[in-house]
Amino acid sequence: MDKTPPLRVVLAKVGLDGHDRGIKIVARALRDAGMQVIYAGLWLTPEAVVRTVADEDADWLGLSLLSGAHMTLVPRVLQLLREAGLEHVGVMVGGIIPENDIPKLAEMGVARVFGPGTSLPEIVSFLREHSGASHA
Amino acid sequence: MLETLLERFRRRDRRALARLVSLAARGEQVEEILAGIGDSARPARVVAFTGSGGVGKSTLVGKLIEQIRAQGQSVAVLACDPQSPLSGGALLGDRFRMPARPDDDGVFIRSLAAVGGQGALAEHLDVLIRLLEAFGFDVILIETVGAGQGDTVVRELVDVLVLLLQPEMGDDLQWEKAGLLEVADMIAIHKADLPGAERVEAQVRSTLALGGASTGETPVPPVPILRVSSRSSEGINELWQTIAACPLRRGRQKSERDLLRLALQTLAVRFATARAGESSELQHLIRAWQQGDISSAHASSALLNLLANSRT
Repeated sequence: MDKTPPLRVVLAKVGLDGHDRGIKIVARALRDAGMQVIYAGLWLTPEAVVRTVADEDADWLGLSLLSGAHMTLVPRVLQLLREAGLEHVGVMVGGIIPENDIPKLAEMGVARVFGPGTSLPEIVSFLREHSGASHA
Repeated sequence: MLETLLERFRRRDRRALARLVSLAARGEQVEEILAGIGDSARPARVVAFTGSGGVGKSTLVGKLIEQIRAQGQSVAVLACDPQSPLSGGALLGDRFRMPARPDDDGVFIRSLAAVGGQGALAEHLDVLIRLLEAFGFDVILIETVGAGQGDTVVRELVDVLVLLLQPEMGDDLQWEKAGLLEVADMIAIHKADLPGAERVEAQVRSTLALGGASTGETPVPPVPILRVSSRSSEGINELWQTIAACPLRRGRQKSERDLLRLALQTLAVRFATARAGESSELQHLIRAWQQGDISSAHASSALLNLLANSRT
């Protein structure tokens, strides 16, 4: 009973973006690392993503964007998370994010941006290192 | 901490519900939770869906959510997916087939990992059902992993068990083996827009008729068999009407018995754990069991004796 419960991670794609190969590979890697991955799917609205994070009692949210709409959609998700009292949920972003936007996203509250070429163990160890023991 | 959560739960705070579901699913503070959530005003209708992987359980549940909401009832879904026996991780991918409006408080969907070897269900499902019931949901839909034989356990926990079949899924002996036909309250032949649905229905009907002929005793009321298609929405309404017409099987007594059993288990484990440090006899017993010197049956009865004698 005293072993830490598995991390619950919601993975989602927001907006009009149908490229889900990357997010599925990440889903598989996190599962193999012993996490509970809730795959929320494609074409979601920020509202639907936040509802999912709330009801699933997730520790992390991973957003994948390859559409170029990240500077619109990511802040919207972050704002809704705050409004829902879910600021304890860590947010990571993956996909095609231009260099210049990464510091801006970090400033808004994104814990980490993972671009192309990221290794899977890198994501796994990032989540492990940045998850407090107080998730229960 | 838990007291605050329970207090928020009683005020119907949805995030408190989500957190309590997490605790209960891990088997933490189950007794305290059950004591603190209060009794539900009226029983929920609890329906489980089983059938092999790919038969369309999630999709059908998604369609039923719409149907149930259209009738003004609230609905909670517990969607079980398997946990990897190797890593302990799980890929829970049911809810994306269940579209729900994010602003609709009448729908709650939760994904759960079913531990290997526990049948097709997540652990502590009985507690989770009570939680959702006490929160006030009218309907609770449970999606099993669909592993087959283990699914028969789910019947105990729910009012209605629906078995999903689909065209071209093997011959009738396959279902006979799985032991599911005999426990299902209802059979839905899903993907009925595909060719072969009529043939499956005929096979099921003849298989079920065989059962009656062999015993020749009490005539079992016929199990409803419906053809349903989530793609065309054919039969969805009829399926829900048939489910809604079923009597609520879970009695109050039953759930109270569960509670008692659960409380007893929790207590025994807690007691044994607490005493393990100080009782050398207990440590010896556990070691002997771990090494395979004594059987589980022997160990558990010895343990019980030990507990009975040492309790002050």
